[in-house]
Amino acid sequence: MASMFSPIQYVFIAAIVLYLLDSIWEVGSIFNPNRFSKRLADYFILTGLAIHCAFLITLSSQSGTLPISTLFESSTFYLSLIVLLSVILKFLYRLQSLTPFVMPIVTGFSIAAVTLVKNDLALTADLKTFWLFAHIIPIFLGYASFTVSFIFSIMYLTMERQLKKKSFGPLFESLPSLENLDALMWKTITMGFPLLTIGLISGTVWAKTTNILGLDWYLDPKVLLGSLTWLIYAAILHLRLGASFHGTRVAVVTIAGFVIVILTFIGPFLMGHKHGYEKSSATLEQEIIIPDEAGMIKVES
Amino acid sequence: MNLHTLGLNHDSAPVEVREKIAFSPSSVPIALSSFAQSFPSSEIVILSTCNRVEIYATSPDDSLDKETLLDFFSAFHGLPKEEFANHMYHHQGINAVRHLFFVASSLNSGVLGETQIISQVKEAYMTATTAETTGSILNQLFQRSLNVAKDVHTKTAIGKGNISVSTVAVDLAIKIFKDFSEKTLFIIGAGEMCELVLKHLVERGAKTAIVANRNYDKAKSLAEEYDGKAINYEKLDEYLPQADIIISSTASPRHVIHTEHVKNAIKARRGNPMLLIDIAFPRDIDPEIAKIDNVYLYDINDLNKVANGNAEERKKDISKCVTIIDKEVAKYMAWTEELKIGPAISQLRNHFHEIGEQELERLRPKLGELAHEEWEHIVYSMQRTLNKILHKPAKVGKEKAKNGGGFQYVETIKHLFGIHHKKDDSKK
Repeated sequence: MASMFSPIQYVFIAAIVLYLLDSIWEVGSIFNPNRFSKRLADYFILTGLAIHCAFLITLSSQSGTLPISTLFESSTFYLSLIVLLSVILKFLYRLQSLTPFVMPIVTGFSIAAVTLVKNDLALTADLKTFWLFAHIIPIFLGYASFTVSFIFSIMYLTMERQLKKKSFGPLFESLPSLENLDALMWKTITMGFPLLTIGLISGTVWAKTTNILGLDWYLDPKVLLGSLTWLIYAAILHLRLGASFHGTRVAVVTIAGFVIVILTFIGPFLMGHKHGYEKSSATLEQEIIIPDEAGMIKVES
Repeated sequence: MNLHTLGLNHDSAPVEVREKIAFSPSSVPIALSSFAQSFPSSEIVILSTCNRVEIYATSPDDSLDKETLLDFFSAFHGLPKEEFANHMYHHQGINAVRHLFFVASSLNSGVLGETQIISQVKEAYMTATTAETTGSILNQLFQRSLNVAKDVHTKTAIGKGNISVSTVAVDLAIKIFKDFSEKTLFIIGAGEMCELVLKHLVERGAKTAIVANRNYDKAKSLAEEYDGKAINYEKLDEYLPQADIIISSTASPRHVIHTEHVKNAIKARRGNPMLLIDIAFPRDIDPEIAKIDNVYLYDINDLNKVANGNAEERKKDISKCVTIIDKEVAKYMAWTEELKIGPAISQLRNHFHEIGEQELERLRPKLGELAHEEWEHIVYSMQRTLNKILHKPAKVGKEKAKNGGGFQYVETIKHLFGIHHKKDDSKK
């Protein structure tokens, strides 16, 4: 199994090991702060993130574009943004309790990315265009924000349950107040939403002008799911601003929104759909690719 | 070691006895200086709080013991010894050190883990240094006791979690609201407990308070004290939507706040959370209210449960504290031994050099004519020899002191070379 990894992937595995250690230390420090020092956890996460970034930069410099050429690359890119955002929030708001929630999830996703994602889907479109950056970067940042807001909603619901059930454990001690969590949830959603909007608009313009997804680009599953994500978060914004919609309910809907985000991110891949990705060694799923065959690069503007 | 502590506390003596023995803040300096007059070379600190009265004293000789300290208490307060002697405990040497470390770390307090005692110990020590009744022994002892207390509090859970109902209520509020400056507190009833919670919340930054009471004047006086607004008790429901934190403790036999009211209030608040604290018995707030979304209700039982739980948590850490304290006691004892090694080594050095000089005196006439320089060489050689011989015992002595074997070492050296310590002899 190990021999299947390319040398560069071992760099990412090193980052995963540090993330794993960090997860153990972050969670451990809640229950036994004397044994698991927060300082050490900080070293783990920062070193892990540095290695992770070095890995992505190496990938970029090899391919000459963003590290999104394969599903594996884009997954790791997405994960790095989550860690980066969490670290920034952690130090900005002195949030000790965010990373204990984030890091186990990131670690799990990273392991899944390394072991499960077959590295044979490669982006076929011309990737060195301005549009790629204008489309991918906002979308990925938006997804990372939504992921963090999802984690805040998990924290909110955890806190809410403890307050209602009147069971106050070590987790209760370390979590911020409900209002704080609500504000952070709101902040990350309002940060993610415009980013997603920009990403969707630029993606639309890109698809229209270059025909990269074919003529009926709007039927692309990723486009459809992306639009659904946008609608859900638009609904959250509307409800919270307009109606008496606070705390618990926002948290629940945010979780639903995140499920759609994940679905949008990997769903089309699982269904074998490409959205600009080609199965480099694939021969089996020809019929799915056929409709797009004709118009790969029809119009060049 | 000649350190003594004599005193009584909430466990050993009833309050009537403690009152008689206590020193008022103004009488402490007087007591200190009168003690210093009676025992000029001694050091003394007096710790007198509402829970304990203790004297820590030491002298380089054996002039102090339990009786002399009892006499001092008796003379100063003009009380016969029989009235209080039975309630007093006396510790000496290492036990006295350990006792002070326990006291400062609040392991000896009525409320385990309280932090007030630290400042009281500090105060007692400062008063004694101002009165110039402390020396190197008590300075070291008290400074170390304060450090130990700090260590114990940061490294263990002995002071963690609030153990009074009013502070537990504040703890819960902190876990729901971000900051209190824009929150409205609603006090129903004007009891002592309500006021205590209100006071804590105001200390945390709360600014707006509404007070309702059946007795409007009472409500008004409490409201005025905290810059709040008194309202008519009958209009209670109207003000509910404004309230973020409601603290209720009326003597009403029936519920004062009903589910319907809170449901309406939360709707009007657009889901902004509400914290309701019911300290009344029988309860003021319908317990069904807890089921409403974004509403958090706690009654006196809940608060007590949290407070008791925290108290239990503190107890769990006692053994951890004792470990820290014992380590520090050992360090302090090693320090005092080191203190003894110094004089012992210089005694040894004097002893050797005396012998050297005697021998040189005896030698001088036998040598006849001798150039001054030649004689200097001989004297110098003798001194060098003695210093070389003494180097090792001095070095080992310092090591022994650090590792705790200093006392025995000093005794051995004294026996070995026949050095007599007059005061030690008189003791035995």
